Amino acid sequence: MSQHDNYRFQVNLGGMIDILSNHLYSSPKVYLRELLQNAVDAVTARRENEPLAEGSIKIDVTGAGGPATLTIQDNGIGLTEENIHEFLAVIGQSSKRSGDLLAQPTSFIGRFGIGLLSCFMVSDEIVVLTQSAKGGPSLEWRGKPDGTYSIRKLDTELTPGTRVFLRCKPGSEAYFEQEFLESSIYYYGALLPYPITLQTEQGFKQINEALPIWIKHPDMARSHKAEVLAWGERLLGDRFKDFIPLQTASGRTGGIAYILPQGVNLNAKRAHRVYLKNMLVSEKAENILPEWAFFVKCLIWSDELQLTASREHFYENDQLEEVRGELGEAIRSELMTMAELAPDRLQAIIGSHALSMKALAVEDEQFYRIIYRWLPFHSSIGQRELGELLQEHKHLYYTLTLDEYRQITHVAAAQSLVVVNGGYIYDYELMSRLPLVHNGAEVERLLPEDVSFTFTDLTAEERRNYYEATREADAVLQEFRTQVQLKRFKPSELPALYTLSKESSDLRSLELTREAATDLFSSVLGNLSAGLQNAGYATLYLNLDNPVISRLFQSGKNAILPIAIKMLYVNALMMGHYPMNRQELSVLNSGIIQFIDWGLSSKDHNGGTTV
Amino acid sequence: MSKSYEELMEEVYDLPDGLAKINLLEEAARVADLSNDIESAYEARSMIVENATFNGYPMKALVAFSWILGQYDKNQDLFDEYDLLWSYKWILDKISCFPDIPLTQIDELLEDMRKRYKENGYSDRTYFFYISVNLLQQGKVEEAGEYLKKFRSMEDDLMSDCTACEQNRLVEYAAAVGDDEATLEAAKPILKGKMTCGEVPHVTISKVLLPLYRLGLVEEAEKQQKRGYKLIKNNLDFLQHQGEHIYYLSKTDPFKGLELLERHYPSMLGHENPFDKMMFLAHSSALLELLSGESVAVNARLPESSPHLAGMDGQAGGSKGNAGPLAAAFREDALLLADRFDRRNGNSYYRNYIQSL
Repeated sequence: MSQHDNYRFQVNLGGMIDILSNHLYSSPKVYLRELLQNAVDAVTARRENEPLAEGSIKIDVTGAGGPATLTIQDNGIGLTEENIHEFLAVIGQSSKRSGDLLAQPTSFIGRFGIGLLSCFMVSDEIVVLTQSAKGGPSLEWRGKPDGTYSIRKLDTELTPGTRVFLRCKPGSEAYFEQEFLESSIYYYGALLPYPITLQTEQGFKQINEALPIWIKHPDMARSHKAEVLAWGERLLGDRFKDFIPLQTASGRTGGIAYILPQGVNLNAKRAHRVYLKNMLVSEKAENILPEWAFFVKCLIWSDELQLTASREHFYENDQLEEVRGELGEAIRSELMTMAELAPDRLQAIIGSHALSMKALAVEDEQFYRIIYRWLPFHSSIGQRELGELLQEHKHLYYTLTLDEYRQITHVAAAQSLVVVNGGYIYDYELMSRLPLVHNGAEVERLLPEDVSFTFTDLTAEERRNYYEATREADAVLQEFRTQVQLKRFKPSELPALYTLSKESSDLRSLELTREAATDLFSSVLGNLSAGLQNAGYATLYLNLDNPVISRLFQSGKNAILPIAIKMLYVNALMMGHYPMNRQELSVLNSGIIQFIDWGLSSKDHNGGTTV
Repeated sequence: MSKSYEELMEEVYDLPDGLAKINLLEEAARVADLSNDIESAYEARSMIVENATFNGYPMKALVAFSWILGQYDKNQDLFDEYDLLWSYKWILDKISCFPDIPLTQIDELLEDMRKRYKENGYSDRTYFFYISVNLLQQGKVEEAGEYLKKFRSMEDDLMSDCTACEQNRLVEYAAAVGDDEATLEAAKPILKGKMTCGEVPHVTISKVLLPLYRLGLVEEAEKQQKRGYKLIKNNLDFLQHQGEHIYYLSKTDPFKGLELLERHYPSMLGHENPFDKMMFLAHSSALLELLSGESVAVNARLPESSPHLAGMDGQAGGSKGNAGPLAAAFREDALLLADRFDRRNGNSYYRNYIQSL
């Protein structure tokens, strides 16, 4: 006689399955991961008592013609009747608190139930046959998504372990196909420690290989380079050339950081593949490495991190922070060692991943000290490594922004000042901190107004000759809070250079914005700009080495001077990419018309000579 | 040389927040202005407001906000009011940091925000909250407390700051009152990680360091200092808090404090926020003062172009080190700023504060 008891869950399973499939798991395909996890946990539990037991997990799909049936069989610890009631109770609790409870670390039995539940995403009937290794009768459990289930004691005694049968529900066929199963089992279980076999109508296959030694001892990866790279290609799909082994002090988290063969975007997702207790839990884990480590793609295995409810991400807690710190440190210290022992290898990495290196250097002065000489910067003598720049030039200048760099680079270059463009991300921070890491380095932020100190002053005689014209030019630009200075400087093709300090630059943009702001904000900006009024004038340097300027001033006081100065002023603004206010725009407009008019009338009078 | 608006914005999206990104956005705004493309110019400037607010450029934020608010009023149907109204709070959060803006104008701005919120169906809760924020900033602690009470009695709405930010203000208030126990009590949910957001606990931790230290919880203070500093060290927006860490370290590990000072000093020089500058200089001055009493000659490594080194006997500052003279120079600058704030605020709060360090 077989005993046949009918029970009913005290939960609405339908709702629970909906939560799982629509809100918790990223895809129904995770049912396979949950089944594998249950099988592995069962085998592991059995081996605790019987260390010599050889674990194995067999997956079998049948059902040509009709709906497919998937069987997964393990020779693990099996379940007693008490165990079955326990896992059902856990499901009951989880359903009341939905995600919360799923996130808690639960017993093997509790997890077993939750894992099993995920199978309802692809099946309308689940049958479990189980025999506990601790003895007792063999049992059959049948569950349906409407919440009913039954438990039956079997007459025959099975070998210890558990078999789960899933009948494919309509619409889920794709999850039972041989190809899907083979690739997904490998995807989730490549690092599982027990052999997993798959039997389908297409044949029999062992899916996972024996685990290489460097999984347990990442340090040994260095002596198995080819194998490590081959695993990297197989699991991550990229052909890597270099890697860094990772391990935490506790030995509970390890991995391989593969160096990406090409540079990546700063905001690219750092998607690492992470295995928890040998099972893949995420291929999108971003928070497992520090922010700056975006030049590597990692395989990471751990048995100490806590997963979120979906078991696809990690909880942001102290432990994760510690692990992240240690993994980051493993990468950092390998880079530091490279700097000493294998600078070529480091240079190759910097070559493709300068941004990543700079991001770390900004955070970490010690690291900066070790690698600064190889970091590339954009300078007025071209793209150069910092070490090269320092070798040739004791004194380096840098600008804060790309705009400032553009305004002065050609002038600075003509004065043979070496200016580094600090406008790229991280660059001005690094330049300003250079003296902290390189003894004797002199760096100075160069403001547009600073380049003038290399300009040549006029002689006493020139000053006397041009006194009147300079005064008049200066008066013309009063209304633009700009003073005129007559100098000689290179390059002579440049007639005029407009420079202003950060304060006068702020002032410019404040005044410009007042034109577009509400009355209230316009007066707020007015008060701010009043505070900046003593920031001083902007300066328009006119270059006496330039033939046109020279002619303009030679002719002494003349009618053309005021408008020519104004035009030089707006021209210099345009060259420096400064936005112009209404008044300046109208100078430009009327000036052009005026010059055309003069051009035409002088043509009339002189037969074509220009002004 | 001249990239299109779209090209510039594409580069923008690839960059993490900070000056490089803001500069690109400014260029994009200029390009949009030139082609009279108001919607693009508005988009770029909205992004400047957010980016500049949270990365240490409050003046740029204010300028860009003035522009978009002006455009919004002229073309209401073109733009979404929610983001605009939300960012108004950021402006009011920092407006008292500029001593040139008189109190009457700050009040007018608060009223302008209140009016706009009302028109869109939001309550006065946020208005009261920001009155309190500004009063606290102006050293009017008691009045700030009254408005805090008022705001807490009201129900929140879609314009309310997140709970973490609001809780943080309670911490700041308790710290300003000088009640160490209350400061720690208010900070509890934040320190435990129950309330977090983009800037909390970053800005909270520097407020609890000294209270922890004074109450003898030295180990916890150490732990929080390490944790907190990591959160703020790479963002210019936290200059004030970097200074607070420096001041705390002057009590426990002054040479560590010196490392922080050297690291953040260059960014202080060009900083847009006069209030943060004042606090950084004041707190750093206290550290340097202490270091000048060390038996070894302490020389802070500052950039050669530093205005505070000017007139000093070279970088080395002689055989006695430069800590003493630098402390004096920092303090003088901090007091100059304090007087500007106090004059505007009508009290002597910041001069007193600096003298008490």
